[in-house]
Amino acid sequence: MSRLQAEHLYKVFGRRPEDAVRKLEAGASRDELRSEGTTAAVIDASIEVDEGQIFVVMGLSGSGKSTLLRTLNGLLEPTAGTVRFDGQDLTSLSDKELRKVRSQKISMVFQHFALFPHRSVLENAGYGLEVQGVPRAERERRATEALELTGLKGWEKSWPDELSGGMQQRVGLARALATDADLLLMDESFSALDPLIRRDMQDQLLELQKTLKKTIVFITHDLNEAMRLGDRIAVMRDGRIVQIGSAEDILVTPANDYVASFTQDVDRTRVLTAGAIMADTDTVFGTTTAQGKKIGTAEEFLAAAPATARVDTPIAELFTPCSTSTVPVAVTDERGEVLGAVPAGRLLAVLGEPKKQEPPAPAAQAPENGHRTADRDPEGKVIAGA
Amino acid sequence: MPRIQIGSWASGLVDWLRDNVAWLFDFITYVLNGFYNAVHVVLAAPAPLVLAGILAILAWWLRGLPAALLTFLGFALIDSIEQWNETVSSLSLVLVACIITVAVAIPLGILAARSRAVGGVLRPVLDLMQTMPAMVYLIPGILFFGLGVVPGIVATIVFSMPPAVRMTELGIRQVDEELVEAAEAFGTPPRRTLFRVQLPLALPTIMAGINQVIMLALSMVVIAGMVGGGGLGGSVYNSLSSVDVKLGAEAGLSVVILAVYLDRMTGALNQRVSPLGRRALAKAQAALGGMKFLYWKPATSLATVGVVVLALVAGGMSVFGKDSAGKGAAASDGGGRSISLGYVNWDEGRATTFLWKEILEQRGFKPKVQALDAGPLFAGQARGDIDVQSNAWLPTTHAEYWKKYQDKLEDLGTWYDKTSLEIAVPSYMKDIKTLDDLKGKGGELGGRITGIEPGAGEMKILKDKVLKAYGLEDEYKVQESSTSSMLTELDRAIHDKKPIAVTLWSPHWAYNKYDLTKLKDPKGAFGSGDSLHMLGRKGFSKDEPQVAGWMKNFHLDEEQLTSLENEVTKAGVGHEQDGVRAWLKKNPGLVDKLAPSANADYAKGKDAGKAPNIGYPAWDEGIATTYLWKNVLEKRGYKPNIRNLDVGPMWTGLSTGQIDVETDGWLPVAQKQYWDKYQNDLVDVGAWYDKTSLEIAVPSYVKGVKTLDDLREHKDEFKGKIIGIEPGTGQMKRLKEVVAPEYGLTDFEVTEAGTSAMLAELERAYAKKEPVAVVLWSPHWAYSKYDLTKLADPKGTWGANNQIKTIANKSFPEKFPEFNGWLKNWKMSPEELGSLEQAIQDAGKGHEDQGVEKWIDAHPGIVDKMAPVK
Repeated sequence: MSRLQAEHLYKVFGRRPEDAVRKLEAGASRDELRSEGTTAAVIDASIEVDEGQIFVVMGLSGSGKSTLLRTLNGLLEPTAGTVRFDGQDLTSLSDKELRKVRSQKISMVFQHFALFPHRSVLENAGYGLEVQGVPRAERERRATEALELTGLKGWEKSWPDELSGGMQQRVGLARALATDADLLLMDESFSALDPLIRRDMQDQLLELQKTLKKTIVFITHDLNEAMRLGDRIAVMRDGRIVQIGSAEDILVTPANDYVASFTQDVDRTRVLTAGAIMADTDTVFGTTTAQGKKIGTAEEFLAAAPATARVDTPIAELFTPCSTSTVPVAVTDERGEVLGAVPAGRLLAVLGEPKKQEPPAPAAQAPENGHRTADRDPEGKVIAGA
Repeated sequence: MPRIQIGSWASGLVDWLRDNVAWLFDFITYVLNGFYNAVHVVLAAPAPLVLAGILAILAWWLRGLPAALLTFLGFALIDSIEQWNETVSSLSLVLVACIITVAVAIPLGILAARSRAVGGVLRPVLDLMQTMPAMVYLIPGILFFGLGVVPGIVATIVFSMPPAVRMTELGIRQVDEELVEAAEAFGTPPRRTLFRVQLPLALPTIMAGINQVIMLALSMVVIAGMVGGGGLGGSVYNSLSSVDVKLGAEAGLSVVILAVYLDRMTGALNQRVSPLGRRALAKAQAALGGMKFLYWKPATSLATVGVVVLALVAGGMSVFGKDSAGKGAAASDGGGRSISLGYVNWDEGRATTFLWKEILEQRGFKPKVQALDAGPLFAGQARGDIDVQSNAWLPTTHAEYWKKYQDKLEDLGTWYDKTSLEIAVPSYMKDIKTLDDLKGKGGELGGRITGIEPGAGEMKILKDKVLKAYGLEDEYKVQESSTSSMLTELDRAIHDKKPIAVTLWSPHWAYNKYDLTKLKDPKGAFGSGDSLHMLGRKGFSKDEPQVAGWMKNFHLDEEQLTSLENEVTKAGVGHEQDGVRAWLKKNPGLVDKLAPSANADYAKGKDAGKAPNIGYPAWDEGIATTYLWKNVLEKRGYKPNIRNLDVGPMWTGLSTGQIDVETDGWLPVAQKQYWDKYQNDLVDVGAWYDKTSLEIAVPSYVKGVKTLDDLREHKDEFKGKIIGIEPGTGQMKRLKEVVAPEYGLTDFEVTEAGTSAMLAELERAYAKKEPVAVVLWSPHWAYSKYDLTKLADPKGTWGANNQIKTIANKSFPEKFPEFNGWLKNWKMSPEELGSLEQAIQDAGKGHEDQGVEKWIDAHPGIVDKMAPVK
């Protein structure tokens, strides 16, 4: 059972939004609505996020991703559709109940940090607890812990304007973590940072996530960031979710030209992993090595292979071994069992143009494989919208 | 184009409001006056330099040492140029107006920021409030709120409200939306978001708005001087209407000092009040190098200590000051009643007004004087704000006003009749001597005669009659302006030796100051001159028959008036009364002639100056007679001290000599036990009242209960209770030991609460028409207030009736032989005691003296009867 579910979310701004939703359901386009003076920011979006998962929503500005995020914690009331968190229907709650849920279960990290300039770092980090009504001493203890977690020990008494951008966002992150909320909404949280600092922050988030296992919805317009962080990625365009899937799915089998053009500039060798592109071992059996040795069994293959890789090894590390041998690189699990093979030809093929609308490559279908989290949803590749 | 009667509608609306919601305006006036007085009393209490010190400490706290020094110097300068009282008045007015403005504007601004609808409605209203010329508010202001500070405060509030509302709205809207969203995202309720996020962050902008409010209020205060707001506005207005550059400069400078101080302080207040301001301040201080001490600011706690210390010093000074100065005022005709005198700031008005101020003060009144424009003066007097004015020019000059208000005024008669209206030119225009000479000089004079207020009677006569009579109507235009502008124009022209013709009148100081020619009026077109009248508000001669009588007989001849005016002018603004005193010195006996006192100064007693200690219990006849004797003794030059004490302590005090005498001894029954205990140390001076009785009383609506026997039979109705007074009093003892057993009332519960509790219970039960039985005695005011039945005592158990006696320490006859003699012969009739108690009740608590004064006035000769002196 997934932790967060949003079903058929619509958010329309303007007059008589319900009518607009009806028209959209009947097939009207976003542009038609715009000519009537209403703006459809989110159209029929459905997502599910599991516990401990980082779910990235990616899209260009104006694609409705920030609006989608705000409907998840009720900052914006969806025009239609439901949001469930832990089985509770947030859309049916009163304002007061909703505030309670927000203060205890859902935190948010903002693009421009949104730190209160009239509060010290410690007071900022403890803000959520203050709203909950936690007594001062405990509040300060937990805020201090959260600051320590984000690497800001010793800065408690400073003021936000004395910190660099990266440090400010750490305060923002600490503020979100201090409340022990299970759901973390991150709205372009690293976009305003320098590239190097952004990378640091991404690493730190991944590091924290290993221990904290929060459910995270992360908004970004940066595909590399999406690929690095996202267990699953939703691509949005013009208010609709165009594709949901793992990083490899998006790269290898883009749902349409739009997604494909999006992924053009991504460094595939760092995103794609051996597990994602490997071929079945059967394709190796029956071939011979350059020395004329026949390969018939897994053991023979292992002995002949120029190198072995794990399913999560980026393919960037496979180029050198492949170039030294005609035998494919072997892909094994932790116990050394052979799972598949990466031949040089395949390596080169995935670097080229992505395949369009073709049946998915066999490797991409490999279940339970090749990803940081084991519980990947088989339904994840459902191509929504387009 | 049809005429749309907007003006008439507005005037109709104002009339309607005045007639129908007067209670509301009265209430507002009452509240604002009270607020203003409270602030003013506090600010005016300390000596000028002490208050300057307090303000300087505030400046130090807010801005550092240089600001503090400048503040002290600035306010010391104000004190030195004798604008201190005016400045304090203005400061109070500004503070009151600003506090109310801010209290209203900030919530409005918050509403406007949160609701588009409210903002949309408010915006045009604010525009209207801000752009409507401020003077326009003052017209209905006077009609609704009368003269004085209140219309000034109201106009100031209206005028200075818009920036505070706008800046609050702007400040809140300016707060970064992401911050508000962040607060919401963490589940902050809207109210908390407002108070913890939006308001703190908007505070710098809001403070800028408050700063604007104060500046606008200060500018408005000056305008409010025209409607009797007093303060620096009064000084400025005064200097304008008398073209007094000296006073103008000083008053103007004081306004500037006050303005700069308030501006800089509220500007800096932001740094102390808002968290962001404090941060910026801390940063700036950290960045400073040397000279740090100049910017060092005492911590809030330290500054508070400083202010409190100075305030205590001020409090101590005023307490001691009062002790040494107070109490001396001899009571006489006025009895401290206040009479307000209004005047148009013309010489004869000012001179006579201050003359009367001096006379009335000598006669024991508390007169207040107020300079006003003719319009507000008449309007205010018609409302009853001004009691008397001495310079109504009738029948011509002030004809308009008289016509409008005459049924709300009363004419106290003419005091001067040698006036004339004329056109005057500087004497250096040698060939112009008569109005005929003006003909053909139109070119030289620019075809203009400089006039005064368009509403003035002289202007009308000039335009309607004089110009036509001399055939000048085509050649000359009469320039409407104001008296002060006309005089300024005259001053300028004479300075430059330029030709000018002005409308003028005699008597006028301009004739002393400049060398002017009154143009002869051979055709008599200006008519015979006005007379100067004393005008009273309606009912004045009924309320103050004595003063009205004096004023009706008041007359000055030309020589007297001119010499008085000269003395007053010589003494200078702010010292008019010194001028009057100097003049009176040269005219000995004039005060007695102008205001013959009905009860001339009381002769001093033989023991004048002695200070007997008189004690009294808080019973009505005790209060009444004690205050009566206090008053009589003071008239005889004694300095009595009176002390309110409980019965027990008072008898003890009498026996030890701490109390010399008391007039409320109920003997032989009620206070028997005290007398028995202390009689060796006391003397019985004599009984002054013997129609007393003790009893149990029930409301008359309790039917069938007429005697104590009836009470027993109706026990259940009274729930078996008798409401008693202090335990231990003779009456309570007698009730328990004799009365109750005789009538079989022993199973009644007699509550022992005290006199005031008994009376409260009676009041409560009476209001609900419940049966109640109370222990009471005669005389008592309860019998006049409620309809009560004294329960008959056929068995005579209450004993012989008490007398009320004067009891004194045994040393008393020796120490105060004269007073002792008076007391021995003193008697009061039930009528006298009743009316005296009534007069004191009417005057209200804390005003017993006034009640006694009134009663003495109503009983001529009573003082000599009570305290005869040879």
